[in-house]
Order: sequence, then structure tokens, then C-alpha cells
Amino acid sequence: MRRVRNYFGRSRSPASRDRGQLFVFGLYFLCVVLLVLSRINHSVILEARDRLADLAAPFFSAASAPVSELRHGIGRARDYTAMFGELDRLKAENEGLKTWEWRAKQLERKVGQLQALLHVVESTGLNYVSGNVIADARGPFTRSVLINLGRDQGMRVGYAVLSGEGLAGRIVDAGGALSRVLLLNDLNSRIPVLVGPAGARALVSGDNSAELRLEFVADGASLYGGDEVYTSGSDGVLPRGLRVGIVTGGAGAFKVRPDVEFSSLDAVSVLFFDSPALVSVDPPRAISPKPLSAVPTALNTDAEDIAPVSTATVNTSSEAGSQQ
Amino acid sequence: MNAIVPALSILLAVLSTSLPLGLPADATFILPFLIVTMVFVWRALRAELPAYAAMLFGLLADVTTGGPLGYWGLMALLAASAGGLARPLALQRNVYTLWLAWLPCVASLATFGWLLASLYFFRWIDHWPFIIAASASFALCPALLYGLRKLRSLGKLSRRVPDYGAPA
Repeated sequence: MRRVRNYFGRSRSPASRDRGQLFVFGLYFLCVVLLVLSRINHSVILEARDRLADLAAPFFSAASAPVSELRHGIGRARDYTAMFGELDRLKAENEGLKTWEWRAKQLERKVGQLQALLHVVESTGLNYVSGNVIADARGPFTRSVLINLGRDQGMRVGYAVLSGEGLAGRIVDAGGALSRVLLLNDLNSRIPVLVGPAGARALVSGDNSAELRLEFVADGASLYGGDEVYTSGSDGVLPRGLRVGIVTGGAGAFKVRPDVEFSSLDAVSVLFFDSPALVSVDPPRAISPKPLSAVPTALNTDAEDIAPVSTATVNTSSEAGSQQ
Repeated sequence: MNAIVPALSILLAVLSTSLPLGLPADATFILPFLIVTMVFVWRALRAELPAYAAMLFGLLADVTTGGPLGYWGLMALLAASAGGLARPLALQRNVYTLWLAWLPCVASLATFGWLLASLYFFRWIDHWPFIIAASASFALCPALLYGLRKLRSLGKLSRRVPDYGAPA
């Protein structure tokens, strides 16, 4: 039998070469199988991802720290260069906000009077926990980030994730120590919203670009550029009234410019908003060591139960929504 | 050593995809495409990088980028096969031949990647990130070739062996 040499100069028979080719073909097949399983969200793939992400959590945390510091440094340097212009802008903005503050106080008083008149039951506040983005998993298909909060801190799939500017996304995978947040501009993101002062119903979806699509706008709804877009809460997963962005573009091609700057997402808060719909989104897992409760254990008064998270802080606020 | 240096360099590139670099939306493909380029270059340079190792690095990139599991594994496998076919070109000392060989490969990979992604999501994915990443990969290929060749020679990995055709 004629023997051939491979690229390392080792002798190789045609039979072993055929076996090698068959092996490579098997690898291609394996990748296709994995893609199909991934497409149908097979539980094995999801579990494997969670475990791998948990294993890699210490690395992500350690590696992202210097990068985050560097980005902060660059941002600070930019701020210094644009400081005087920014100061003038802030002065003007402050003047405008003073007017709005006065108006807001008036409205608050008026709402209080009307609520007292109607015997409105006060809605319960939302609790939230704050953490940091430790890894940027924005790949070709996904716009997601990893945060240093996991099931140990009470995270569940479906919880809303906010930055200082507004809604950033929602949790789609929750491991023990960290969670994956699907950003609003991800291809798989769909959020029911209300648009403008009239509260026209629509759906905001991501397409991996900087702006979001505005679809399924209610018939007869009048939309204008600059209209505010906020969550409707009709999916039963996200609370109502979280700021999403503002309407841009013209009739027939409305877009939404998100309030959140996704590329510079750093500190985030996660709202604990449990609803019956969450059960279908995030059913309790058999492997989960702790039962999922309406109020996360991390928020119980027993401070020893709170798992240590380097930069995360747990907050309870009756007006968490007011940060919106 | 012949196997460790390529593996380590690609592993570093894979792990860098998980860092919060704050790249713009259209540039998010660049880092994964660099991994694919490195697989191609290492294979073309006759480093000991088996196809299964290339696939494993691709799968790791799938995990770190949060994409569909198997996508970058498949792309890395294709790049490994292309790199294997390009080995005769690497025998010539001229870097530009290999660089030019990468042009049709990266164009085909980007097109295939875009079609596969569109098929996976059942909608036409924005093609610009693929074009930008393929262009960046092509532009950075000479630098990668030069750097990885240096790395290879520093680690005394060079093996002067005749070409016996593309491996399986």
C-alpha cells in the first residue's frame, strides 16, 4: 500500500487519511447538530451555556476590570476636553428642569388629591439590585451583556434591567453568579410598548442596529417624531412605564432611538418584578438549590444571606419606578 | 511547543471577544473574524492546530459571544480547511501570496456566515457587519501573518518539511 506523508512529515496511509477526512466531516456534522439544538433552545444547550458562563465568571470579572477602568479613563479625558461646552449645556438644561420641577410638584399634588378622592390603593413598590456589566457578549447575532448578578442574588429570567437612562434589556439566562442580559437592540428582543401621550400600543423589536424597530402600531394611531416610548406591561413580564426611547423617522418607517447607550453600558439595576407570566418564562429548575420566591432571598432582612458580590448593591425602594 | 503557541494565541483572541470593549454595533464581528483569520494563518503556516482544536476554539467563541452554539465552530472549521489547502502557498516566502489567498476565503466565509445567520434567524440579517469584519480581517491579515510567523520562529517552531499536499 502506498504511504503518503502529512504536513509534519509523518508517514500516513491512505486509509488513515480517509479516516481523518471522515473525522473532519463528523466535526462539520456536529456543528450543524449543535446549531439546530441551539435554534430550538434545547435544554442541554441552555444548561451547558449556564454552566460554562458560571465557570468563566471569575475570568470575566477579573479581565473586564482593567478594560472598564481604561474605558472610564478615556471617557473622563473626553469629558475634560468638552467640559466648558458641557457646562453651558447643563446650565441651560438646569433652567429648563427647574420649570419642570415646579410643574411636576404641582402635578404630584394634584394626583395626590385625586387619588385621595378616589380612594386609590397604592401600588406596591419595586425592589431592585444593582450590579455591573462584566462581559460584553455582543457578537454577530446577539446584543447581550453579562452582569455580576445571578440566581444567588435572586435573579430570574425575564427581569427588567435598567441603566440610569432607561430600560436596557431583560435577563435571558441566569446562572449562579452571573446573568446574561438580552439588550433591546438584539434580534430576539420584542417589547410591547405604549407610544406618545395617547399611549398607542406597538411592539419594539431589535435588529442588531443602534435603533429599534417600531412594529404593529395600533390602527389609527398618530405618531410623531420625539414621542416617548415606554413599556406597556401587557406581556406580564416587564412592569409598565419603563422608559425605552423616543420615536424617530417618518410615517411607515418609524424607529425608536433608545435612551440607553448600549455600547457604554456599565452599572445596571435589575427590577424584581414577579408576575404569573414569569413562571412560563422562567420555570423553577430541578437543579436549582433554592426555591424561587416572589421576594428574592437576597432582599430578606437577614443580611448574612446576601451572597457577596464585588460591586453589586441591593436596594429596596418603594419608588424604584420613579428613577424612570 | 508547536501546538501550545497557536492554541494559546487563539485562546487569547477568543477570550478577548468577551471583554466589554464597547465596540460599535457594526464592528462586533471583527473580533470573531480575527479568530477565524488566525485559524487560517496558523493552519497555513503548518502549525500543529488540528481541525478539532479549531472547532473547539470556535465553540468557545460561541459561548463568549453568546451566539448560536456551533456557528463560530463551523466557521473556524471552514477556515481550518481553507488554511490546510493554502499550505503550499505558505512554503513560498512571499507573504502576499497567502494574503491574496485569504481574500476569496474571507469573502466566501463572510457570505456563508451571512446566509447561515439569516437562515438561523429566518430573516435577512444586516450584511454590513459582515462586510466590515471581512474587510478588517483582510486588512489585518498581513499583520497577523507577520506576527504569527515571528511568534512561530521565536518559539523555534519552524519545520522545513516538503509539501506533501493538503492534509485531511
